Order: sequence, then structure tokens, then C-alpha cells
Amino acid sequence: MDAISTRGLSKYYGKTRGVEDVSLSVPGGAVYGFLGPNGSGKTTTIRCLLGMLRPTAGEATVLGHQVTLDGAELRRRVGYVAGEVHLYERETGRWHLDYVAGFRGGRGTLTDDLVERFDFDPSKRVKELSKGNKQKLALILGMAHDPELLILDEPTSGLDPLNQEAVYGVIDERIAAGRTVFLSSHVLSEVERVCERVGIVRSGHLVAEENVRDLLGKRLRQVEVRFAETVAPSFLADLPGVDSVTALSEVVLAARVKGGAIDMVLKRLAGRAVTDITIEQAGLEDVFLEFYRGDEPANPPAPVAGEGSEGPGSVTSHRGGAL
Amino acid sequence: MSWTLLRGTLHQRRASIFWFCIGLVLYSWLMTWFYPKIGGGRYAEMIQSLPPEVLVIFGGTEVPFASLGGYFQTEYLGLMWMIIVAAAVVLFAGRAFSGEVGAGTMELLLAQPISRLQLALTRVAAFVGYTVVLSAASFVPIQAFGPAYGIELGAKTFWTLFAFGTLFMLAVGGLAMLLSAVFRDSGRPSGIAAGLLVVFWIADLVSSVSKAARFFDPINLVSYWQPGKIINGESISPRAWWIYGLVGALSLAAAVVLFRRRDVA
Repeated sequence: MDAISTRGLSKYYGKTRGVEDVSLSVPGGAVYGFLGPNGSGKTTTIRCLLGMLRPTAGEATVLGHQVTLDGAELRRRVGYVAGEVHLYERETGRWHLDYVAGFRGGRGTLTDDLVERFDFDPSKRVKELSKGNKQKLALILGMAHDPELLILDEPTSGLDPLNQEAVYGVIDERIAAGRTVFLSSHVLSEVERVCERVGIVRSGHLVAEENVRDLLGKRLRQVEVRFAETVAPSFLADLPGVDSVTALSEVVLAARVKGGAIDMVLKRLAGRAVTDITIEQAGLEDVFLEFYRGDEPANPPAPVAGEGSEGPGSVTSHRGGAL
Repeated sequence: MSWTLLRGTLHQRRASIFWFCIGLVLYSWLMTWFYPKIGGGRYAEMIQSLPPEVLVIFGGTEVPFASLGGYFQTEYLGLMWMIIVAAAVVLFAGRAFSGEVGAGTMELLLAQPISRLQLALTRVAAFVGYTVVLSAASFVPIQAFGPAYGIELGAKTFWTLFAFGTLFMLAVGGLAMLLSAVFRDSGRPSGIAAGLLVVFWIADLVSSVSKAARFFDPINLVSYWQPGKIINGESISPRAWWIYGLVGALSLAAAVVLFRRRDVA
């Protein structure tokens, strides 16, 4: 059974589009990556799934129940970590843990474990916490009761690599325990690290839904070859699937190689004396960028709280793998 | 209703609840203590030396100034008390929904297994409880300390004043809560509700000196506020009770209905 499924889900803010006609399915027991740049509609979709926003059209089903604005019982089975963490500034972490425990009929079974793993001090007031520590508290609040479905909106934002790895570890464990994780992110390395299936959202539309492995099979490689003798760029440029061939010096060529074309490149290189070769595997980022090339729609989605104001037209690539 | 949310709401508002209550208790006690010093004949002499327009500003229009009710209405309950409790209830109710939506904490709240109906009813219950506490902070000191300063309200007068004051706060705060169910930030609901009260107050002022402005009186929440009459043992018009009761009940019910249907993020 699908843990989440949406059919024709659309949300407009007045005349401005948030998401349009999003149909996706998240199988139970899997980690589903919901990938897209800031402002693409990820948070809007999540808020519709949680009954915080009323969809303009379409419907959503979560854990077999149709999502309604009043779905209290459904939320008992779902854990949610918001992309932009907002907590009660004057209260302590302990107060927040007790507050949520009050709604859920007791302390979450994972509370102590998560507090320890994230090295979180619950005695401090929220206003005294750093961004990373607020994020830790939000993660503990969302995950402590071991929900059947975890909806995480950019969960590692503001966390150091050690704590990011702790989050991935918790996700791995929850999946091993049969839970489902819906992970919204624009950090490609994160999606690559933890997700099995990914939906790519662009300008409010779901433009692709594939297994991460299939997506990575389509990825690009950056190849740099040092020859023992002078070689012209035309030596590689005529191969299908090879582009951007440039001569870095008289004996060094660099080229971008798509998917299966690497085999032909290696066979071609076998006919020359090669002194060094570097093959850099471009990550999911390059595959992702393929979906964002081309003309942007005239009506970009509305940036909503929790998503940056950066629209799809201003997609930027960072070395860390975030878009 | 959710006890966790009720406790949480009161806990988060503990500072403002404490200070407003302390302020009202001290002010009420001060005005009670002050009565023998300036009340009675000397008070009437002082009042008569003031221009009539100034007296109107303090709400002293329908009760004799020299009476106990006239003293309390002119010196305290007719203006200062209204300002203090209006600020308290408008701030409290104005933040009930939109304050959390604007601050982003509504997202945390609605990620928990609580229905919107439960949430809204709990917020209404917290608000109703707050008005009762404010009434107690306002009128219990007069009743408790009064005998020491020659003021005897009597049980009926006290409870009538208590109930009427609570209804007044429910009506004013109900409007703020209704606005809070519509807007996305706490500033606008509180601002609009406060502005509405100022309009009521100005309309009451103008209608006291000009018949032309009296068309507004039937719906003017400020015009119906005549605590001096209650203190003097007179009866308040049934219309006043109905208007406060209806405005409070309808606006709170509408706030619950609207909150259940709105987008909260």
C-alpha cells in the first residue's frame, strides 16, 4: 500500500500557483526524496498532505486516509519536521518535549535516544539555542514518537556534518523498522545518500518520478586525460554522448561524458599512450539540472513561508550539492 | 477540549496575565481606598468645577457624579478600566490564532494529533477563563477592601458587576478573536479591534453632546457600559446584556468556524 498518494493536487494562492496537478505515490517502507529548488512547491505540497492547507483541486491520501483539514487521528501516525523551524522562544527544550508528549499521550519512545544522539541540551530556552540546535529540537519533536510516516522538510538544514549523519542514521533505522520517510530537500547529496525513489518538482509541477539508481545511471562524468603526446580536441569530440571537449594544454583534454558513452571513450583512449586519467562522477546534481534547463514557465510558483524566495529561474549550483 | 493546549496557552501568556491582574487589583484597591478621601460631597464639588465636556470623556453621563457609582464610573471603570481590560483581552484574543500562524508555531501545533475544532474551542475556553480572572481582579478588591473604606456593594451588585464586566470583555475580545481567525499575524487583529473600540468611544463621546450621532448607539459597545448604574443599585437595560452576550457568543462561534476552514500556513 502507498503511504502517500496524491492525484491532481493543486494549490493556488489567489491567482498565484503553489503547485499544480501533482500526482505522486510513495510506497510504504521506503524513503522518498522530494527534490526541487527553493520556491518550487515542495513545502506547499507537504502542507497539503498534513491538512494545513486546503488544496484548490485534487486529493491526497496519507496512510490510507483521505487528508482533511481536521485530520487529528491521522496526524497521530505522522511525524513532521518543518523546513523553517518555529518554536516557542521563551520556553525550554524540555517544555517542548513535554508539550508534544501531552498531545500524544506520553513521551515518545525515541525521545531519550534522540536527545543523546543529537547531543541536545533540553534545559535551555529556545531563544538561547543556535539554529542548528533549534533544528535538532524540531527533529526530536517530530521523530520521538516513532511515527509510521515521517515527513521531513529539509531536515538537515543548519546541522553540522556529524549531526547530518546522525539524521541519516535515524532515517536508515526507521526504514529498517518498516517506517516510511518522505524527505523534501534541495540537497542532492542527501537525497542520493538516503532515498530510494525521487520525485522532482519544478515550478509547481512534478516533472519526474524515478528510482534514484535509474537517475544516477543517467549521470554525467567529467573526464580529464593526460596523454604522453600532443592530442587535438577532435580526438574525442566526435564520439556520441561526449561534449564540451576542451584542451587544457597540448597534452591534456577535458570532456563531459554522458551515461554509457564512457565505454566508448575508454576504448578510444586505449589506442593512445595515457599518462594519467581522472573520471569525476558528477552527482545527482547534474541529472537534476537537466530537468531545470530550458524555458521556465511564465507563472512561477508563489514562494511560501518555509521555502526561500529564490524562484526556479535562479537555480544555482553549489559544490556541496545543494541547489 | 485539550487540557495540554489549555495549560500550554495559559503558560505562554503567564507574564501578561500576571501583570494585567496585578495592575487591576492594585488599581481597584487604590480607587477603593481613595473614595473616602475624595468621594461624597467634596467629590461632587470638584466634579462640578469641571467643564461638562471633560466629564463626558470619563463616561460620567448617566449616573449622578456624587454617588458611589458616579465616582467609580468617572474615576475608574468608565475609562481607565476599559482601556486596561480592552488592551488585555484584545492582545490575548488577537493572538489566539493569527499570532501562532504568524509566528509559525501553528505548524508545530497542527502537526500534533489535535483537531482544529479542539484547538479553537480550547483557545475560546482559555479566553473565557481569562475574562473571568480579569473580572475577579477588577471587582473582588472593591468587594473585599470596600468595607474598610465605607463601601458596601452587596452580593447582588457585586455579581451583577462581575457578570456585566465579563460580558463586556467577551464582546470586545470576541471581535478580536474573530479577526484573529481571519488574518495571518497578530498585529492586525489587535489593531483593528482596538481601532474599533476607539471609534465606539468617540461615537459615544459625540452622541453625549450631539443627538445627531446617536444613530450609532444601538450597536455601540462602549455606550452600553454603565457600571456606575449597577453600583448605585439601578438596573441595566436588557438590551445591553443581550448586545454584549450576542456579540461575544456570535463572534467567538464565528472564529471557531472560520479557523476550521482556513489555511494555517
